Amino acid sequence: MSYFLLLAVNGLVVGLIYALVASGLTLVFSVLKVVNFGHGSLYMLGGYASYYLISGLGLPPLLGVVGAMVTLFVFGVVFERLVIAPMYTDKVERKDEYAIIVTFGLTILITNLALVVFGPFAKSPPSFMTGALIAGPLILPYDRLIAAVAAVVLLVGLSLFLKRTALGQALDAVSQSRESAAVIGIDPKRMYTVAFGLGSALAGGAGALIAPVFALSPSMGDLPAVQAFIIIVLGGMGSVGGSVAGGVLLGLVQALGVGYLPDPNRALAYTQAFGALLLVITLLVRPTGLFGRPHLRLE
Amino acid sequence: MPADPFFAVAGLAKHFGGIHAVEDLSFTLARGEILGLIGPNGSGKTTTINIVTGALKPDAGSISVEGSDMAGQAAHLFARRGVARTFQVPRLFRRMTVMENLIVPALSDASERRPSAEERARGVLAFLKLEHLADDYARALSGGQQKLLELGRALMLKPSLLLLDEPFAGVHPKLLEQIIEHIRTLNRDGHTIVLVDHNLDAVQSIVSRVLVMARGRKIADGAVAEVLQNPEVVRAYTGSRAGAQ
Amino acid sequence: MGSLSFSRAVQAVLLAVALLLPLAAGPYWIHVGAIAWYYAMLAASWALLAGFAGQFSFAHVAFAALGGYASALGVGLLGLPVGVSMLLAIVLAIVTGALIGALVLRLSGPYLALFTLAISEIFRLILVAEEDLTRGMLGLPVPGLFSGQSDVPYYYLGLGLVVMAMLAMNWLLSTRVGLFLRAIREDEGAARASGIDTTRYKILVFVVTAVIAAIAGIYYGHFIGILTPNIAILPEMGLVIAMAVIGGIESLPGAVIGAVVVFLLSESLRAYGEWRFVLMGLALILVQRFAQNGLYPMIEQWSRARAKPRAAATVEDRHAG
Ligand SMILES: Nc1ncnc2c1ncn2[C@@H]1O[C@H](COP(=O)(O)OP(=O)(O)OP(=O)(O)O)[C@@H](O)[C@H]1O
Ligand SMILES: [Mg+2]
Repeated sequence: MSYFLLLAVNGLVVGLIYALVASGLTLVFSVLKVVNFGHGSLYMLGGYASYYLISGLGLPPLLGVVGAMVTLFVFGVVFERLVIAPMYTDKVERKDEYAIIVTFGLTILITNLALVVFGPFAKSPPSFMTGALIAGPLILPYDRLIAAVAAVVLLVGLSLFLKRTALGQALDAVSQSRESAAVIGIDPKRMYTVAFGLGSALAGGAGALIAPVFALSPSMGDLPAVQAFIIIVLGGMGSVGGSVAGGVLLGLVQALGVGYLPDPNRALAYTQAFGALLLVITLLVRPTGLFGRPHLRLE
Repeated sequence: MPADPFFAVAGLAKHFGGIHAVEDLSFTLARGEILGLIGPNGSGKTTTINIVTGALKPDAGSISVEGSDMAGQAAHLFARRGVARTFQVPRLFRRMTVMENLIVPALSDASERRPSAEERARGVLAFLKLEHLADDYARALSGGQQKLLELGRALMLKPSLLLLDEPFAGVHPKLLEQIIEHIRTLNRDGHTIVLVDHNLDAVQSIVSRVLVMARGRKIADGAVAEVLQNPEVVRAYTGSRAGAQ
Repeated sequence: MGSLSFSRAVQAVLLAVALLLPLAAGPYWIHVGAIAWYYAMLAASWALLAGFAGQFSFAHVAFAALGGYASALGVGLLGLPVGVSMLLAIVLAIVTGALIGALVLRLSGPYLALFTLAISEIFRLILVAEEDLTRGMLGLPVPGLFSGQSDVPYYYLGLGLVVMAMLAMNWLLSTRVGLFLRAIREDEGAARASGIDTTRYKILVFVVTAVIAAIAGIYYGHFIGILTPNIAILPEMGLVIAMAVIGGIESLPGAVIGAVVVFLLSESLRAYGEWRFVLMGLALILVQRFAQNGLYPMIEQWSRARAKPRAAATVEDRHAG
């Protein structure tokens, strides 16, 4: 039982981080109608950004996370302006492919840049707080607890931001119909930039939060990116609530799968394959996702 | 009305979630007839065209083309059967040339060879006065030219029934005259035509019979002058306008 | 027709160079060249699938893995003769290609990309997990095709396969099928309304390109002598995409030239380590941003502009293979 609890709690923590990554992806998708195939590399960049802010500038770890989010926001805004924005003009044909290629190109670029700049070896940033919470059979390191709590805070904050603020509602309006949004005086192009910046910041924040738990490496974003794709399809692309549900579900399934299946090599591979299988089945039988809004661009 | 009309739909219905886009729609067309299909925004005209060309499967109802029921069949089979359409917003093969746009439907008939397809395409281009654009990319055409090319692409199917979704929308007045003339010619040459448009003056100048839809239902069907006097039709139009504001 | 003859001339010269290369190059570059043919087949067939037919698939390298593993297992596990095993692998690719093609009929754009990405990952993970069968990350030994140490026979085999694949794909594109595939890419609904049985042609293009990818994988496996699941990792798919996009996603020779140039560059710049892939990612983004159709069509156009400053572009110029 305590083993189960341990696995479940760890799965929950990882699931919340996945949910945070996915919420950024889903925000970008719902506003720009673009799946950011470079999202995982932004998560990785966030981890390194906080590492260097903490070790270089001597920021306290949690401020490092904030700094990473700001850095990634700026990065996202610049990338959107320079590379994604031309997509909205007539100059770019095959817009879907364009978006996939440039964001996927971003992954190739950043992952390899990280390899040469940060080095291939894992780096460990300082803990948010050393020690662990011990409650009966459950041992939860504070780093995990803090990462989970911060993820929840960010997710709640995001929901409130989208529902309660003028900017958030403008984003939502554009996500529902850019034409009608434009009619009521919202500039969709500005919202694209904002959404991409926010989406990048959320990925970066997730990477920075997970950094003290798992080590940093240039390829650390590969797995969460695939998980985030699965989550947004499961959760219904464009739904923050769906991201949370999907993220937690996936985190739990994988933690329990790896913990209970006998052969560790198989367990690891098949718990990952299970997520991918969920994506495949969801797209085939229920393209609207399990929770969210309908997929806007499905034929 | 002949016992076995050239084209007939009966009890057609299509729902999107809670929206009854088309509800219990029935009408027939005699060969060579031209029908104006009108109605306020969102009344189900485009959905009707989508259904009777196989782009959408009806939830209920039958579609008979020359006596055989085609409801539920794939769109390309309708096209091969001579049911051709244009789209409300032109949907051309943008990065293909005008000539290529035209020979695609021709070559979808396995027995047609390329030289004969190009020959026919040149004929259609001459009819539409677009010969000089044959080698241009479709995306480079003006809005009006795109409408013409879409009409041409539909004609390449050698259609027996032609469904035109708002051919006059957003068209320059000079071109409007030309398109009206084209439609008249096509009808004179024996094409059965369904004409959807909001430009009632233009529609009236071509057709003698109109069918009016509102909220997915047929509310009137008959001679133009009569139908436009029909109080329910007047209400549908004025009501929708009030509602839209 | 300026650029048609230009394109033909370029292709003839490159083919001649490729044929004569083993006379001048040492064993290392012959080996590198033989691997380049693997990528050339993948990039060109992916260009047909993604560039011409508009089906942006991430599962292309998975089909190469399918072919390679199937052929290797046919020999190693079932004890079949190599030729039979290869045929079996191709049949498997036909069936799988048709199946995937049928499954993705309703998906397009990012959905299709995500779907094929997931399929590809599932397949790779099975290869990793089923160690009893595939030996997992240890790698599956594959018997060679030729006796002797030289890579020259493989080099010419690979070159022959590239030429044959190109001839087959060019032929396909020159028939009405090529026209239909492009129409489907431009607007599937309008293609259907024009009488095209889009289902049939979408499945067809998945089958054709899956077979070519599988042949590439079969060739690669028997040539290299060992297969690991890493043949189907996402960065490999990225490499193929980059090759095709940089060369020209809507030009088969462009994709082949892109593959060879990118691969040769990455081999000759080995001293620069991962900087090569930084450069490749950057090139991918820049080409997509500023020359969406790729570099080879740009060069073609430039040569046309020089040859006949006034002549209007004709269709054949753009799309001739
Ligand atoms: N694919 C769809 N999904 C959901 N609802 C749809 C779909 N297509 C049409 N509708 C709805 O069905 C109703 C009928 O739409 P339709 O396009 O047929 O009207 P219309 O008469 O052509 O209008 P307009 O004159 O504006 O073109 C509308 O309420 C529309 O919003
Ligand atoms: Mg309409």
